[in-house]
Amino acid sequence: MTPEPIISARGVTRRFGGLVALDGIDLDVPRGIVQAIIGPNGSGKTTLLNALSGASHADAGSIRVGGQEIFRLKPHRIARLGLARTFQNIRIFDNLSVIENVKVAAACNSRTSLFNILTANARHRLSEADIDRHAREALDIVGLALRADDRATQLPYAQQRLLEIARALASKPSVLLLDEPAAGMNMTESMTLLDTIARLKNSGITILLVEHNVRLVMGISDRVAVLDFGKKIAEGAPSEVQRNLQVIEAYLGRRHRHA
Amino acid sequence: MKIWPILAAGCALVLAVPVIAHDGYIIQLLNIAILNAIVVIGLNFVTGWAGQINFGQAAFYGLGAYTTAIATKAGLPWVTTPFLSAIVAMAASLMLGLPTMRLRTYYLAMTTIGFGEIIRLIIVHWEPVTGGTSGLRAIPGISIFGFGPQGQVQHYYLLIAILALAVLIAARIRDSVLGRAMIATKDSEIAAEQSGVDTVRTKLLAFMIGAVYAGLAGCLYASSIRFISPDSFSGTQAILLMTMLIVGGMGSIVGCVIGAVALTVLPEALRFLGQWYLVLYGLGVIAVIVLAPGGLASLASLVQLRRANVS
Repeated sequence: MTPEPIISARGVTRRFGGLVALDGIDLDVPRGIVQAIIGPNGSGKTTLLNALSGASHADAGSIRVGGQEIFRLKPHRIARLGLARTFQNIRIFDNLSVIENVKVAAACNSRTSLFNILTANARHRLSEADIDRHAREALDIVGLALRADDRATQLPYAQQRLLEIARALASKPSVLLLDEPAAGMNMTESMTLLDTIARLKNSGITILLVEHNVRLVMGISDRVAVLDFGKKIAEGAPSEVQRNLQVIEAYLGRRHRHA
Repeated sequence: MKIWPILAAGCALVLAVPVIAHDGYIIQLLNIAILNAIVVIGLNFVTGWAGQINFGQAAFYGLGAYTTAIATKAGLPWVTTPFLSAIVAMAASLMLGLPTMRLRTYYLAMTTIGFGEIIRLIIVHWEPVTGGTSGLRAIPGISIFGFGPQGQVQHYYLLIAILALAVLIAARIRDSVLGRAMIATKDSEIAAEQSGVDTVRTKLLAFMIGAVYAGLAGCLYASSIRFISPDSFSGTQAILLMTMLIVGGMGSIVGCVIGAVALTVLPEALRFLGQWYLVLYGLGVIAVIVLAPGGLASLASLVQLRRANVS
């Protein structure tokens, strides 16, 4: 008997006009693993991630996170249930400092009132101190602690990606969705990133990794799901998926021929 | 840091102004500039930080002013008026904000323009209460249990103190959960949501705090200038407030004050030019927007950068 999966999606469907971007996707992600979702461009990877995080709702289906139905829930509610994400196209907060970017998410579960803020009472100071500590811990994990007070826009591209991961971690998620985290990174930066992902997994966070670069994910993932034209065409351990003929045809083969 | 000497010199200058300028007219003008600064700081919450275009700020200013004027003329003690004006502004912004804060920028801009026009029309046409286009005169002054400022200089010092408080509160909100959530909402609404920020609530709060700032400034306007008319709170005034915010520097509290003071005083200072003043005024605004898109407040940091590069 396997324990209940942390993410359990059934029949997730998303249409854009006549285009079916997601066509009845079923996905079970066991707790504490690194689950990769791969597929060629336009196969629906990011659409699936958007449906899971609530950024762009699915039209039909059911999505459970930790046993709770989140279908059509507002994104901030989903975030507060312990699902955090990063973006393929970096979306940091340009007008905030590095640490403030992370603090936005670190405040995810702290409730404060305008009264507390205006009077700067003990409760407010305590909650701000908590937020600051969580934010610094998150920056530490991705190695950005020394840049805490810089403007977020001053960071080089690869570090902005790390900042997004730190921001996602600051909300203390149980599931972390990473949308092409290695895009635009060089080899060394990618290796460091893989190392960070492995450490996060060891700390108990379930990771859902959307990646275009197959070689990158095979080593680190426990399970791989392959999407093509909005359908899940294969799923299993990396070695199984690599041997799957359909996958090779749909994805690896085509890529290899181009390369 | 070198900021303290500058700050001290600035404070000294602000406090010495009534001594240097004996002219009551100049003090009166500065009083209006200070009130405008409070309104623009309010506008900065929703527009500068939360990124929502709001052309209704002048209407909240007017609601506050008319509430206080009508209440005091009806015989209510002055102490109640800040509360009344704040409550009216808060209620109006809640009613307008609840349905509209889900809308994106342009739609919101349209809605707030419409709201401003509705308020102006009510003021103009509800003559028995509001005095119509000729406005309300002889509004009772500020008086807290018989004590109140006498003359323009005393009003000046009182308003400076209230402005300082308004600045401090804004700065405190900026460096709190709420301020960061507002700026995050402006920079990327979706990233803010996925970080657990309820962006609709954040925008609504920014809108309401801004409205309360305007309502309170309106209360002080009515009871320190003692005369109000619909012209002071029209759509033109709403655009002027937005211009003050942009010229001063969106998102910067100091910028709000600089922008409000500059654009209140400048038209009067350029009056000797006659009709040409509008040309110069327009060119000045364009120059700031083109040469310093971050507003006048960003010039200070530019100078600092230069100096850092030289040394």
